[in-house]
Amino acid sequence: MSMLEITDITKDYGASRALHPVSLCVEQGEFVTILGPSGCGKSSLLRIVMGISEQSGGEIRLAGKRIDMLPPERRDIAMVFQSYALFPHMTVEQNLRFGLRMKNVPKAEQQTRIAHALDICTLSGLTSRMPRQLSGGQQQRVALARAIVMQPNLLLFDEPLSNLDAKLRDTLRHELVALHRRIGATSVYVTHDQAEAMAMSDRIVVMNAGRVIEIGTPLELYRSPKQAFTAGFLGQTNLLAVTASGRRAQLPWGQTVDLATEAIGPARISVRPESIGIHPDDPRTRDTGLSAPATVTGVSFMGASALYTVSIGDTLLKVSHAGGDALIEPGRTVALTFPSRLPVLEDRGEDRGREDGGHAAEAA
Amino acid sequence: MTSIAYPATGLTSPRKRRFTREDRLPVAIGLYVSLFLAIALPLGLMFLWSIADGWPPPHVLPQSYTTARWAGVLGDDGLLRAALNSILIAIVVTFATAVIALPTAWAMARFPFRLKRAVEIFILAPIIIPGIVVAVGIGQVFLALGLAYSVAGVILVQIVGTLPLMIRLMTAALETIPDDLIHAARSLGANTLGIVRHIVLPLAVPGLLAGGLMSFVGSFEEFDKSFIVGAPVVETLPIKLYMYLDPYSMQLPLASIVSFLLLLPALIVFVIAGRVLRDDLMAAGMGKI
Repeated sequence: MSMLEITDITKDYGASRALHPVSLCVEQGEFVTILGPSGCGKSSLLRIVMGISEQSGGEIRLAGKRIDMLPPERRDIAMVFQSYALFPHMTVEQNLRFGLRMKNVPKAEQQTRIAHALDICTLSGLTSRMPRQLSGGQQQRVALARAIVMQPNLLLFDEPLSNLDAKLRDTLRHELVALHRRIGATSVYVTHDQAEAMAMSDRIVVMNAGRVIEIGTPLELYRSPKQAFTAGFLGQTNLLAVTASGRRAQLPWGQTVDLATEAIGPARISVRPESIGIHPDDPRTRDTGLSAPATVTGVSFMGASALYTVSIGDTLLKVSHAGGDALIEPGRTVALTFPSRLPVLEDRGEDRGREDGGHAAEAA
Repeated sequence: MTSIAYPATGLTSPRKRRFTREDRLPVAIGLYVSLFLAIALPLGLMFLWSIADGWPPPHVLPQSYTTARWAGVLGDDGLLRAALNSILIAIVVTFATAVIALPTAWAMARFPFRLKRAVEIFILAPIIIPGIVVAVGIGQVFLALGLAYSVAGVILVQIVGTLPLMIRLMTAALETIPDDLIHAARSLGANTLGIVRHIVLPLAVPGLLAGGLMSFVGSFEEFDKSFIVGAPVVETLPIKLYMYLDPYSMQLPLASIVSFLLLLPALIVFVIAGRVLRDDLMAAGMGKI
């Protein structure tokens, strides 16, 4: 039995549907991230689970008990808000104690739990500060500590790192993952940041336009996405229309590649920029590389790697190349090599997620 | 000028420049001079009038002084009784106003509902309509209900006058409480009562205090509504004091004494509030009028 079972939750605003039936199971101790662009319904879903927003249909079970009819204060769920939502008129310690007092936890136990939370969130020494005297990162940790003293069945995070600057976000992301390992609380984390989702999660739920698009581990979703939206939202990708026959497929410009699964007829595949090999076109690689002539049309140097735009046939491809001594200049002719076992997308291109597929280079 | 010291980055507009040490003296002088002109000077003149024994035009200061009028007013036994009445009524009015205003303000601040503008105007109506009009209208009803000429009637009619401002101030204070704070409190196990006690009320303190002070002073100084509903059976301090005014003689000396006595409680309340409260709380509350 899963810790959290969400079954066919929907949310309607008047005639418009913000959440199409969403179902999701989260196991005990699991860290699941709901990832999607803003307005995809991920926060609505989280608020429905917390109980501060009401679903239009469906049911939610936590630890086997149905909770969707209960008010939030009786759900045994704690939430970390994007705005932190610290009580401005209470000290750090009073903020942490608030929930314990409300739940009538005995004094002695309050003390131990608070001390423990302060310790693991490295807040000792700040107990008598007011929230306004704390930095953004400290406030964030107080919000987290306030949630974990409750020792809830489920911890919810609503984009808790999005108000912090990039560097601090990185640090806190690592702390959060470490913390999760230590306390092992079942967690659902909402974010629009794909790097955050991949770095932290056991599983990612990709959402778009009020629907769950795909669920999987970060590795699965990145390496072999089934939906174009997932491929485009998690990192960068090239979406290519191919003609498949069994495990082989022909790219638009005639080159053939290996597929991970069998397919017949027109299909779409996703190729990551870093999985394409790029070789300056000299006689020695011409025969080994399977490529038709391609031309570099643009390059941007990213530090660890360089991102090239390469024109081949009628198609523009994004190719990322790490290392290398010198950048390949625009205008050079190059050879491209493709990896074997390319993932075949299940949708054929008429999917609803496409308009938001952001980074995807469409090759129709 | 110090503004030159700031690079023109577009982030620091000239109006946002901070006061420096050198600015202290002129700023202080300016503030004290305004304070003197606006408050001390009129009060001083009032005091002179109250003890002047005639003050014919060409003279800058009165020619002779008398304490007879002060003695006459302060010697009246009824004055103390009226003052106690007023204090009692003001306290009841203040608390009743707060209790009535809180739910209304909560609804105004938190929930979108139809005809909100209309309700808002309805709430402010007693401020727009002259008190005497309200009093005459309500007086009729109170006569029928047997509330006329009673302390309860005076309290009720005064609440009509103090409610609008209290509701406005509380609404403004409650509007600043973010929804997430309420949600967080609920997720931490607080029920409605717990949220009101531990989150809403403490955070509404600036609004409550500001509204409370305004209600107290407003009730204490209220004349026309109390006069029509309560006089002559219920005597509040303003009613008592206004009766000293004699339209057929020189008004200013007695009017000065009346003004002083009416000013006193307001002054005491504000001084106490200023001592007890943190400045920022006070400013936060008053800033919302």
